[in-house]
Amino acid sequence: MKKSFAVFWKRNLAFAKLAIVSNLEYRLNYFVDVIVQPVLTTGIEILLWFAVFKGANVQTINGFGREYYLSYALWAAFFARIATSWMYEFRMIEEISSGTINSLIVRPMSFYEYYLSQLLGYKFITTIISLIIPLIAAHYFNLPTIYSRVPLAVVLCFYYLILVHTISFLVCCVAFHLTKISSFTVAKNLLFWILMGELFPLDLTPEPYKSILLKLPFAGGVFLPVGYITNRIGLNEMITGFISVTISLVVLNALASVLWKKSLATYAGTGA
Amino acid sequence: MDAYANIITMSIVIETHDLSREYKTYQKPEGVMNSLRGIFKREYNSKIALDKTTLTIESGKIIGLVGANGAGKTTLLKILSGLVTPTSGDARVLGFKPWERNYEFLRQISILLGQKNQLWWDISPVDSYALLARIYDLDVTAARKKVNDLAEMLQCAHVLNTQLRRLSLGERMKMEIIGALLHDPKILFLDEPTIGLDIVAQENIRNFLANYVKEKEPTVILTSHYMDDIATLADRLLLISKGNIVYQGTVDEFVLNSNSELAQDEKVDFEEVIRRFLETESRIR
Ligand SMILES: Nc1ncnc2c1ncn2[C@@H]1O[C@H](COP(=O)(O)OP(=O)(O)OP(=O)(O)O)[C@@H](O)[C@H]1O
Ligand SMILES: [Mg+2]
Repeated sequence: MKKSFAVFWKRNLAFAKLAIVSNLEYRLNYFVDVIVQPVLTTGIEILLWFAVFKGANVQTINGFGREYYLSYALWAAFFARIATSWMYEFRMIEEISSGTINSLIVRPMSFYEYYLSQLLGYKFITTIISLIIPLIAAHYFNLPTIYSRVPLAVVLCFYYLILVHTISFLVCCVAFHLTKISSFTVAKNLLFWILMGELFPLDLTPEPYKSILLKLPFAGGVFLPVGYITNRIGLNEMITGFISVTISLVVLNALASVLWKKSLATYAGTGA
Repeated sequence: MDAYANIITMSIVIETHDLSREYKTYQKPEGVMNSLRGIFKREYNSKIALDKTTLTIESGKIIGLVGANGAGKTTLLKILSGLVTPTSGDARVLGFKPWERNYEFLRQISILLGQKNQLWWDISPVDSYALLARIYDLDVTAARKKVNDLAEMLQCAHVLNTQLRRLSLGERMKMEIIGALLHDPKILFLDEPTIGLDIVAQENIRNFLANYVKEKEPTVILTSHYMDDIATLADRLLLISKGNIVYQGTVDEFVLNSNSELAQDEKVDFEEVIRRFLETESRIR
């Protein structure tokens, strides 16, 4: 048992390293993903909040002043970047539809762990670089930020990332039966963006939606971590977030393992 | 159970009973209207690729699996290696049901599909092997030495550090073979390992495999459309036709049998016998 865990750990570390090494090969892609994209999103959202406060001619919205919303927009774009899986979900689907999954499923390892470790490895190197930007910007513009809360916020976001991967894995089960489902990924990720609170803080939505959105695991991707950093929520809500992600992980993983077995049983070995 | 019976059961590594696989394919009809209709309702055709195959294979034997295009060779190898699940029937490989993909089973087998890449496309073979060493839990230094030895034998040490995508077909095949052998598999499924290679390269790989099996004594199932591969390497011949095994035995017996059916003065070699077999088959089809 102990030995098999050591083996498991070592090979997954190797998968994470593979992701890091092979992604750093593509320097431009890495740079765009880590810096250009979140900076653009942040820029747009900050402009929007300026416009909202100016147009509504108010000092606070929902009890928070403009600076709080600017800080939220700044952090949210970077957390949403971490908490969304585009590249690896596309790759997983492609692996199935092209049949290159063959060389993975005849090896003593699982498709799930292989891609989870790569995803986490890749997100790790993008996060440590890209979080420098909001840290500097928040400091420079003196935006409301509780720096000591950043580590726990990042932990929740990464924990949520495992759930994101599980959902990608569920999508893959469908990919065995239907080809070309990348449009589904796009629709799904856009929906998650809203549910996570990337576009606006989830506590702005009216009841009963607010309570529902906050209880859904998606809040763990952006709203809870960023709300925690920008002092919109406290530790209690964070703990609720961890619990909600955990429950979803248990349920969806159980479902995924059943579906995966069924899908592989019908798989013809030549792609979908 | 007495000791003798035990030895017998021990030595059988592959056993199948009525093993079958049917593929369903969607028939796409012509035209826009039919395509629209196809969104909601689809017609499927089914095709039996492997039909009630029963066979046993003993440990340490090299089996040459021969048959026409589409006869079901790749399908059989895919089932036995756990890549696809049979639609009916049963099989045991090393005592495991392959399609359950038990890690203990997967650690002891290897499948090489000559028409597909199995190493990582974007990284160099040495990096791929390092990854494989982790996956199969091999000692890293021993694995590195093994790679160098195998590369030496295959005369391809100079390309070990080149990205796989930049290698020629022959160089890539050699890299794939090293990858397939790295964890000392007890059973080796080789699906057309010499496809698309020039005569010298084919011979190289053939000789390499002959030496390798002599030394390590794995059980091998080999498919190839080059009868030299089969004649040189195989101890036994499995002839497959439209999903059915039609002959199991040695190559020599097969040639002898065929010759005895011919007129007195006619004598043919293995390649010719196979040619006649395939010709008859294509006429019937
Ligand atoms: N994924 C699939 N979907 C539908 N039919 C398939 C699939 N794979 C194989 N078949 C069919 O099953 C039959 C056997 O195919 P298989 O690949 O096993 O043949 P083979 O003996 O390996 O042929 P070759 O010598 O051309 O490689 C063929 O008629 C083929 O059309
Ligand atoms: Mg084939």
